[in-house]
Amino acid sequence: MFKRYFEKIWVQNLALLALTGLVVYYFAFVFEFKYDFDWAVFAVEGQYGHMGHLMVNGINTTLTITLYSAAIALAMGTIFGLARLSSFKPVYWFATSYVELFRNTPLLIQLFFWNFALPYAFPEEIRFKLFDMNFEFWCATVGCGIFTGAFMAEIIRAGIQSIPKGLLEASYSSGLTFPQTLRKVILPLAFREIIPPLGSEFLNNMKNTSLAMTIGVSELCWSMTEVYSLTYRTFEAFSVATLVYLGLSLSIAGILYIVNERLKIMPRDRITPLRRVADVLFWPFDFLGRKLEYIFWYFRKSPDQRTVSPLKQALNRLGRNLIKALKIFFVAALAYVLYMVVMALIHFNWEIIGANFKTLLIWRFPEGDETEFCFGLGGLASSLLMAAISIAGSFIIGLAVGMGRTAKNRVFRIPCILYIELIRGVPLILVILWFYQAILEFVFKVDVQAFWAATIAMTFFFGAYIAETVRGGIENIPPGQVEAAKASGLTYFQTMRKIILPQALKQMLPALVGMFIAAFKDTSLAYIIGVMELTRAAYAINNRIMIYPFEIYTTVAVLYFVFSYFMSLYAKRLERKLSPETIRIEM
Amino acid sequence: MRVLKIAVMAALLVMAASVAFAGPTYDRVMSTKVLKAGLSNQGIPFGFINDKNEWVGFDVDMATEIAKRLGCKLEKVVVNNNTRISFVQTNPPKVDMVLSNMTHKRVRDEKIDFSITYFFDGQKFLAKKGTVKDAKDLANMKVGSMQGTTSIVNATAYLKELGNPNPQVTGYDGEVAMFEALRSGRVQAITTDSTILLGYAAKVPGQFELVGDFISDEPYGVGLPQDDSAWRDTINFTIQDIWMDGTYLKIYDKWFGPNSQYPFPLTSKIEMWP
Repeated sequence: MFKRYFEKIWVQNLALLALTGLVVYYFAFVFEFKYDFDWAVFAVEGQYGHMGHLMVNGINTTLTITLYSAAIALAMGTIFGLARLSSFKPVYWFATSYVELFRNTPLLIQLFFWNFALPYAFPEEIRFKLFDMNFEFWCATVGCGIFTGAFMAEIIRAGIQSIPKGLLEASYSSGLTFPQTLRKVILPLAFREIIPPLGSEFLNNMKNTSLAMTIGVSELCWSMTEVYSLTYRTFEAFSVATLVYLGLSLSIAGILYIVNERLKIMPRDRITPLRRVADVLFWPFDFLGRKLEYIFWYFRKSPDQRTVSPLKQALNRLGRNLIKALKIFFVAALAYVLYMVVMALIHFNWEIIGANFKTLLIWRFPEGDETEFCFGLGGLASSLLMAAISIAGSFIIGLAVGMGRTAKNRVFRIPCILYIELIRGVPLILVILWFYQAILEFVFKVDVQAFWAATIAMTFFFGAYIAETVRGGIENIPPGQVEAAKASGLTYFQTMRKIILPQALKQMLPALVGMFIAAFKDTSLAYIIGVMELTRAAYAINNRIMIYPFEIYTTVAVLYFVFSYFMSLYAKRLERKLSPETIRIEM
Repeated sequence: MRVLKIAVMAALLVMAASVAFAGPTYDRVMSTKVLKAGLSNQGIPFGFINDKNEWVGFDVDMATEIAKRLGCKLEKVVVNNNTRISFVQTNPPKVDMVLSNMTHKRVRDEKIDFSITYFFDGQKFLAKKGTVKDAKDLANMKVGSMQGTTSIVNATAYLKELGNPNPQVTGYDGEVAMFEALRSGRVQAITTDSTILLGYAAKVPGQFELVGDFISDEPYGVGLPQDDSAWRDTINFTIQDIWMDGTYLKIYDKWFGPNSQYPFPLTSKIEMWP
């Protein structure tokens, strides 16, 4: 009886309204905040300057870093994505090591490495020249760009590889040349595959720029911390930063949505209004494309030109030799780099690494104070522990929210969507700060150690991401199965438990392993609230020794890399087991 | 129906949690016999991790002594420049007191309470030996300081006063990053409280020197929860007791005495009530 009522839209809307009312009533009248809001801090000039201006400057820097690093990432991604498809092995190896190295270490460690260790690799004059050029800003920008580039390279490679080999064969056998095939078959198809995941990388890149604050770039997160440590207005500062990040995320997502709409293949008579808007917006690009097509057509080779003149032959030979020379040069350069790396490794102060290795693994466990987390457990061990706990917890959240997200009933669906989009729109660093300094204290009135605060924050953060994976898994199950289950009299939960989830979970397995790697790398952000995980331990050791940043940060990067890389190999093997057909296109 | 039930349950749970409201700090500390102190772990010589991975420093010793005299167990909580105030500001406070080389300022006193001054310091500049002959040289230098401190605000104002209308002051994330910026040469001078600068300068003996005059007074106080006079009195009396029987000097000499790594003569006496 209730169930039948609950299927009516107006009942659902009413229930949603009532829930919202309840929440508003609770926080407005029942809940004691013991905190008086003062939004005027952003509008008036205080003793320490104008906080509003500070925030605006921060937003400005964040946008600048985001744009520059996105351009760098796209360039790196394209170059290395294509290089990953090269049949010339050294190029392939080089690109592969770039992608694996940067994808499997945390961005924070990379930034620290660029910022603290790299300058010492240069002679003093060059170093001072570098420092004259706004070093921290470019360090963060290029660092973010290179990091995101590694992810983009993989997307671009996968997109190009996803083109069925049959299509290429068909295009060659119908007489198209390679450039034509590239233009007419490969690129249009690849773009349709690539653009949606590429877009989400742009979004991630924007959120990642928040880490620039750790090396002293005054971007949005930096301004936010500055505001709350000078005015002690935690809630106000956090809220403004969160809203700005959400706004940025939503606008990027909006642009992506329109681009996706433009790329969709839809029959002429069923064009949606949004598609019309997208068409108008993309008109200049279309126009440019059509004109280019005309130019290409104009410069095409006529069949009689295809006989090769002696001059042309010589030119061709020259070109081939040039390519050969370039290849040799590339191999030589690679060998030189390898030699430099080996020399650098030999000259490492291994004693320092050896002396601090145990500390990096377990910090001061078991000699720590009994008031510390787990008797001083820290370093790599606590990073792994944190990742394991938060992934286990977020799996439960993700399962519930992901199911809610796919539910037909609005009362379940809309709160789930809100949760997912809200969490996915802000950087993890901000989520951790929210939990540690605002939510747990003021809303839930619990007082936990920094380790647990970070773990809880990460649980909620990854919950939203896993929910999206779960949704993908559920939506991949053919609807016929659900209908069959319904027809045979199973309830919703029975269908989920017995039919959909077992299949969906199997599909999701590689993605979940990937999520665990991401969580493991992101434990480095707990650094910001002083949890003694691997990054913080390295920072503390560097603080003490001071003169060997290269050794310490390299060791930490290797530690992160080893764990992430072997997990990702495992994820890949799982994936291959679940979908055996893979073809490699070579260019 | 079930949704409603869950919602009501959740609401009740949150309400129950908010009812568990702690009493004043004094009563709580005295009944639980646990004293939570916020301490920095990256500020040499006030609170840092030494070669043996122990958390030591002047502030740590002071906190330990206070806890000992109150007969409590000390629980150390990491704070940094951004969190040291908000941790005593919350209700109930996350920590019962904060010793984190924190200057007692009127603006800060509006949010939290402070004990009497337990350490006297001032802000100075640290630069490579020989680069700064006169304070005026600082005006056009790139200067580093710490984010979340008033040092950065003071420094900007000071450089403006020296005649640079657009001073370049970068706020780094903590003492380590700030000193690293000076050491690698990305800034020509760093500025914060002089004892902290001494602590880092001692890392590479003979290369750096303190320059110029003190540009501000930095009397350090213990940060305490607002409006809890029983607790504030207890801390004040304890600090005075520590001073009176000579323990203060012992701790001071351990960190700043003539034979220590960072010699810094004691400039003033703490406030004493008969």
